[in-house]
Amino acid sequence: MHQFQVYKIGPEIKLGSVDLSFTNASLFMLISAFTICLFLFLGSKKKSIIPDRVQLIAELFYNFIAKMISDTAGSKAKPYFPFIFCLFMFVLLCNMIGMLPYSFTVTSHIIVTLVMALFIFIAVTVIGFLKHGFKYLSLFVPKGVPVVLLPLITVIEIISYLSRPVSLSVRLFANMMAGHTMLKVFGSFVISLGLLGGWLPLSFSVALTGLEILVAFLQAYVFAILTCIYLNDALNLHH
Amino acid sequence: MNNKDFRTRLKIAKKEFAKNHPSENNKKGYFMGSAFRLGTELVAAVVVGTIIGFILDNWFDTKPWLIIIFFFFGVFAGIINVIRVAKNMQKED
Repeated sequence: MHQFQVYKIGPEIKLGSVDLSFTNASLFMLISAFTICLFLFLGSKKKSIIPDRVQLIAELFYNFIAKMISDTAGSKAKPYFPFIFCLFMFVLLCNMIGMLPYSFTVTSHIIVTLVMALFIFIAVTVIGFLKHGFKYLSLFVPKGVPVVLLPLITVIEIISYLSRPVSLSVRLFANMMAGHTMLKVFGSFVISLGLLGGWLPLSFSVALTGLEILVAFLQAYVFAILTCIYLNDALNLHH
Repeated sequence: MNNKDFRTRLKIAKKEFAKNHPSENNKKGYFMGSAFRLGTELVAAVVVGTIIGFILDNWFDTKPWLIIIFFFFGVFAGIINVIRVAKNMQKED
């Protein structure tokens, strides 16, 4: 489908065998990042006690993420606040900008979500090993399991651990892609049914757009909260 | 109104607010997030298990066997993941 196509903008840039050309995906990532920066800059410019609208929304986001981190990962996760905040805002803005007509949804491509998920996965594993040393491996050996079942359970735990980046990336990508595809399908029904029967799919389209905006927010939230949960596993072993 | 006075008044107001508005909305979002998790959690573990089985099969040249065994390991891992998420949801209730 046209809305998922990646194409080059400007000249082709090659570094060895790696294609580094500037594409529409890169453009929309830059737009998202720039929008976040602008929004937070405007929100934190005045610092008045009685906040105006932009400051209020910025503070709302700050409180939302701060509360989420302290609820799920405890006080030890405070140093990772900037990373999780960036992650949440970036995914949220990519999803939301993708809802605008004629725009490109960066998160509807698995490569983008997989890179983010793999980065989180590797970072959490490294943090776990740095904090606990080889004791971190005890994550794979749950307590109170009979010795006979232990090898079996350990293999299953390792698979379950390795499935984290897959589930994290596939969830975001599948939700965004499925939503946009569904909107497209209902949109094409409107055209093909014409002036007489087109009103029903049109109303569905309107309702689905609302649902998509909810999903866009919710997926960003789920992405961030799962990062917190994984971080919690790495920081507070057994609890 | 000096600073200290303002702080105590803010504290009281916050307490009052928390009493009247339990964080219902936040909880709802959390549950919806958990619901979205369940499906993919199951699928991802199966996929990862099967891929591991496939790779190990190529290594040891035991073509169909390890992929079958690891597929079932993946299924178990997925079920365990889902049970964990569901348990967390119940704990929060």
